[in-house]
Amino acid sequence: MKAVFIVFNQSNTERVEYMLDELKISGFTFFEEVQGRGTYSGEPRRGTHTWPEMNSAVITMVDDDRVDELLRTIHKLDKRNEEVGVRAFVWNIEDNV
Amino acid sequence: MSIYKSAINKPITCALIFVAVFILGLFSLQKLPIDQLPEIEAPYVSVMTAYPGANASEVETNVTKILENNLNSVDGLKEITSTSKDNISLVMLEFEWGLDLDEAINDIRSYIDMVYDDLPDECTRPFIFKFSTSMMPIMQYAITAEESYPGLDKILNDQVINELNRIDGIGNLALSGAPERFVYVDIDPKKLDSYNLTLETVGQAVAGNNLNLASGSVKMGKEQYQLRVEGEYVESSEINDIVVKVDAGRAVFVRDIATVKDTIKDFTLEEKINGKDGVRLVVMKQTGANTVQVATDVKKGIEKVAKTLPPDIKLQMIYDQSEDIEDAIASLAESIGYALLFVVLVVLFFLGRWRATLIISLTIPISLVVAFIYLLVADSSINIISLCSLTVAIGMVVDDAIVVLENITRHVDRGSNPREAAIYATNEVWVSVIATTLVIVAVFMPLTMLGGQAGILFKELGWIVTITCCTSTIIAISLTPMLSSKLLKAQRVRVGEKGIEKVDEGQENWYVRRVIPLLDKVDRFYANALRVCLNHPKKTLLAIIVIFCLSLIPAVTGQIGSDFMAEQDNNRMSVTIELQRGTRVEETAAFARKIEKRMNEIAPEILLISSSTGSSDEANIASMMSASSNNKISMNVRCTKKDERERSIFVIAEEIRKEFDTHPEIINYEVSTSGGAASNSNVEIEIYGYNFEETNKVAEDIKNILKEMPGARDIVNSREEDRAELQIIFDKEKLALNGLTESAVSMYVRNRVNGMAAGYLKEDGEEYDIIVRLAEEHRNTISGIEELTLTTPYGKNIKLKELATIKEYWCPPEIERKRRERVATLSVTPVNISLGELAVQIQNKIDKMDVPPGVIINVGGAYEDQQETFADMGLLLALIVMLVFVVMASQFESLSKPFIIMMTVPFAFSGVILALWITGTNFDVIGALGAILLVGIVVKNGIVLVDYINLMRDRGHELNEAIALSGESRLRPVLMTAFTTLLGMLPMALSTGSGSEMWVPMGVVVIGGILVSTILTLILVPVLYSLMSRRGERDKAAETRKNFIFLDMPDTLDEDRMKQQNKE
Repeated sequence: MKAVFIVFNQSNTERVEYMLDELKISGFTFFEEVQGRGTYSGEPRRGTHTWPEMNSAVITMVDDDRVDELLRTIHKLDKRNEEVGVRAFVWNIEDNV
Repeated sequence: MSIYKSAINKPITCALIFVAVFILGLFSLQKLPIDQLPEIEAPYVSVMTAYPGANASEVETNVTKILENNLNSVDGLKEITSTSKDNISLVMLEFEWGLDLDEAINDIRSYIDMVYDDLPDECTRPFIFKFSTSMMPIMQYAITAEESYPGLDKILNDQVINELNRIDGIGNLALSGAPERFVYVDIDPKKLDSYNLTLETVGQAVAGNNLNLASGSVKMGKEQYQLRVEGEYVESSEINDIVVKVDAGRAVFVRDIATVKDTIKDFTLEEKINGKDGVRLVVMKQTGANTVQVATDVKKGIEKVAKTLPPDIKLQMIYDQSEDIEDAIASLAESIGYALLFVVLVVLFFLGRWRATLIISLTIPISLVVAFIYLLVADSSINIISLCSLTVAIGMVVDDAIVVLENITRHVDRGSNPREAAIYATNEVWVSVIATTLVIVAVFMPLTMLGGQAGILFKELGWIVTITCCTSTIIAISLTPMLSSKLLKAQRVRVGEKGIEKVDEGQENWYVRRVIPLLDKVDRFYANALRVCLNHPKKTLLAIIVIFCLSLIPAVTGQIGSDFMAEQDNNRMSVTIELQRGTRVEETAAFARKIEKRMNEIAPEILLISSSTGSSDEANIASMMSASSNNKISMNVRCTKKDERERSIFVIAEEIRKEFDTHPEIINYEVSTSGGAASNSNVEIEIYGYNFEETNKVAEDIKNILKEMPGARDIVNSREEDRAELQIIFDKEKLALNGLTESAVSMYVRNRVNGMAAGYLKEDGEEYDIIVRLAEEHRNTISGIEELTLTTPYGKNIKLKELATIKEYWCPPEIERKRRERVATLSVTPVNISLGELAVQIQNKIDKMDVPPGVIINVGGAYEDQQETFADMGLLLALIVMLVFVVMASQFESLSKPFIIMMTVPFAFSGVILALWITGTNFDVIGALGAILLVGIVVKNGIVLVDYINLMRDRGHELNEAIALSGESRLRPVLMTAFTTLLGMLPMALSTGSGSEMWVPMGVVVIGGILVSTILTLILVPVLYSLMSRRGERDKAAETRKNFIFLDMPDTLDEDRMKQQNKE
C-alpha cells in the first residue's frame, strides 16, 4: 500500500475526482481549501488578496501496482495547463487497521 | 454556502429571482406618477389678521409687531417677514426645508392663543394659512369669445367647469377676468333731487318689490293649497316699472329717474388674449396628484366640451406644466437611452465578445429598475432628479460586473470550464468588488443627509445611486457568475502531438485582428511613458503641479460664473409693466394693446399674449397669484417651442426690454423668464431701517447705481410707491348740527359711488346682483362727489361739500418687514452675467456707498440661497472625502495609499474648472453636485491602480517594475470605467431639449473632471506611489527583521550536543 497525496488548484477539483473514478480508485480523503506554495515553480495559493487562489488536496491509499498509472495520469492533468497545476507525492504505508 | 455558489448551483432560482425583481420594477414604473421635481412641501406658513379701519402703520404697531415678536420663537423658524397694509396684517414664516409643518402650525396656533388678548379688540382671530403646491396652477387656458362674451361666465361655469371638475385629482378651477352679469340702476342725481328722493329709497323700492314668499296654506273644501307671493323679477326690464314714490297721486317710476342696464360688470380687471376679449381658466391639481395624468384628462375634457360650446368661443392653451414635464422627461429618457447604448458599445469595444457584453449589459436594466421600486416605496415620482440620477448610475453599475466577468474570463482562458471558473473567480474578487461599492456608498449616502432646499432635491439622487450601485454589486456576485457559467464557452481543446492544444477556431475576427493590436499598442505606449516618468519622478510631479496651477487661473480670475440654478428656457415669459401711478384702468388697458402689438412685431416667435390689467376686487385664488393694480399690466407670453426657433427666450426677453426702454410711459417693468416659483434666480438687496424717507432714498440711490451696471435687469422695488387717494374730511360740528355721524355719511357716500346692493335677479338658478348707484358721469370728478346729496334725519337735503372737504393726498405704502425690521427689497435679475458675479459687484458698490446710520443693507435672494447651499455642499464634500478615506484606508490597511489616491481629487476639480471655462457654463448647485460625484468616480480609478500595484509588490516585483506592470495591465479597466461613466454623461451634457439647462452643468462638470483626472491619475498615482513607498517599504523590511531577531543568534547546535553527550 502506498499513500498518494495529490494537491491541486481547486479549479481542478472536478477533473481530479473524475480521474480517480476513471482509475477505479474509490477511497480517498478530501481536504477542501488548503494553502500552499511551490518550491521551484507554481504560484502561491494563499487565499489572500495578493494570492487569491486556493488549492485542495486528496490523499488516497492505493495498491503499489496502481501508483505508476495514477502518477502518469496526474502528470497528464498537469500538462493540460501548468498554470493551474497539480502535484502528487507518494509514501509508504507501514500499517493500517 | 456563499451567494455566488448558490446562484451558480441554482441557476433557475437565481434567474427567476431577478426576473421577479425586474417585473416588480416595471410594475412600479407603471404605477409611478410623473412630475417635474420630487414632491416638495414649501416650508411657508402665513398668519393673516384683519384689523378693520386701521392704516398700515397702525396695523404694523398693534398687530404685526406683536405677532412677530411672539412667533419668532417657533421651533425651526428660519426667517420671518411681514406685510402690513390697510386693514390687514400678513406675517409670513419660512421654516427649514423638510420640517414637519403640521407640528409647526400647532406651535404657531398656541403662540397666537397666548398673544391674542394683547391684540386690539377689533382684530379678527389670526388665520393660519399654509402654502401648498396644489395652489400652483398646472395649466392655464385662454378662452376668447366674440358674440358670446357677455354670457361667457355662465357658459363656462355650466359647461366647462362642471365637466372638468369630475376629473380625478383636479383641485381648483378658477376663471380669471370672466365677465359677470350685473344689473345696474344708474340714477340721475338731479332728477332724484327734483323728486325729493334719496338713493336709498330707490334701492329699497327695487329690493322690496323683488320677493318670493310662502304665505301659509289655504284649505278649500277637500283641497289644500300653498299660498305664495311670487313677486320676483323675471326680467331686468321689470325694474323700470317699479314705483318709487307716489307724489300727489302721481307715481314716480324707476324709469323716470334712472336707467336700468342689464350688462356685465364694470371692469376693474381686464383680460385680453392676443388683444381679444377673453377669460383665463386656471387649473390647479390636488396635492400628490399626477400632473401629467390630470393635464391629459383636462385636455381630453376640454376637447369634448369644446364641441358643445358656441362656435365663437375659442380655447387656447397658455401654459401647460405637463408639457414641460413631458418634454424634460422625454429628453432625459433619450439621454438614458443613448447612455445605455454608449456604455454597451464601450464594453463591447474593450471586451470584444458579445456574450460577455450581453452578460454585463443585463446588469444595467435590472439595477435601474430597482430604483423604480424604491421610488414607489418612497412615494416619489418619475421626475428630473430621479432620471438624472439614473443617468449618473448607468456608467457605474457595470463596473462591478466587469471586474467579476474579467476574472471569470481569465479562468476560462486557462482551461477551466465556465462553471468552475465562475465559482472560483468570483470567490477571488467578491470582497474587493464590495469594497469599491462601499466607496460609492460613502460618496452618495451623505447626500441624503444634506439639509435645505438642495437637500430635498439631492436626497433622491443619493438614495437612487446608492441603491442601484448596491443592486449592481449583488447582481455582479450572483447573476453575472451564473450567466457566465451558462453562457460563456469553454476553450475548445484537443489532444495533439505536444499535448493539449487550443483548437484554432479558424475565424480570426475583425476584433482580434484590429482592435486587440491597437489596445496592446496603447498599453505598451502607456507602460513606456510611465517608465520614463518613474525615472524622473520629481520633474513629472512639478509638471503636473504646474498644469494644476494653470488650470486654476480661470477660477481665480473670476472667469467662471456661479448661479443657484440655471435658468430654463420654458418657452414663456411673464411680463409686468408699471405705468404712472394713478393711471386709470382703461388707459392702462389701451397701452397694453399698443405694447402687445409692438411685442408681436419684434418677436414673431410669440404665439400668444394673455394680459391682465387692473385688479380683481374679489379675493379669489387666481388674484392672489398675481399682484396687479390699475396701473399695472401683467402678461403671460408663450413662444414657439425651443427647437422651433432660433433665438432663446433670454434673447427675446432682452429685445423686449430694449423696446420697453424706449417707451416713456413705462415707469418700471420686469420681463421674467423663470418658469416656476422654485427657480427664480435674482439678487435681492434688502434695505433695513425704520425711517421711510431714509430707506427710500437709499433704495433710490442703489437703484440708480444698478441701472448703470451692465447685466442688471428688471430692477424692482418691493416697496410700492405712495398711492394717490381722495380723502373726505368731515367737519364734525356741522355733522352733529345736521344729526349725522361719520359712519352714516360714509355709508351714504359708498352707496352713491360704489353702489347699493339691492337684491338679486334670479335666472336659471343663478343670482345676479342688482346695484343701485349714481350714473357714472355724476361721480367721476371731485366736484361731482362734493355735489352728492345726503338726507339728514330731519328730512333735509344737504350737499356733501357743506359737511366736508375733499382732499387729494398720497397714502402711505404698505409696510414690509423682514427679521422684525422694516425693509425695502430691490430685486435684480442678472442677464449675460452670472448671479454670483452680479452679487459681488453690487456688494462692492454698496460698500462704497454712504449709508445713513440705522440703515442696514444686505445682499440676498437667490444669491443667499446659493451661498448657503454651496456652504452646505462644501461641508458635505469634506464629509465625503473623510468617509471615502476611511473606506480606502481600511481596504488598504494603510494611511499613505488612500492619501495618494485622494491627491487625484484636486485634479478632477481642475478638469471641472477647465470644462466650465471652455464651455462657458456657470457653476451652479447641480454642477456642484456633479463635482461631488466626481470624488467617487475618480477615487474608484485610483483604487484599481493602487490595488494592483500593491498586489504586484506583494508578489515580489521591484517597485518601479511593479508600477509599470500594473499600469500596463490596469490601463484597460481604468479606461473602461472612465469611458463608461464619461459616455454615459455625454448625452446629458449635449442635450438641448427643453429643461436641459438644468442638468447640462452636471454633465459638463463630470465629463471635464473625469477626462482630466483619468489622464492625470494614470501618471500622478504611480509617480506618487513610487515617491512615497521608497523609504517606507525598506523600513518595513527592517521592522520585520527586528521581530524575528532569533535568526541572528550564534549557531550553538554542535556545542550543545557536545554538552549533552558529556552529561550522559
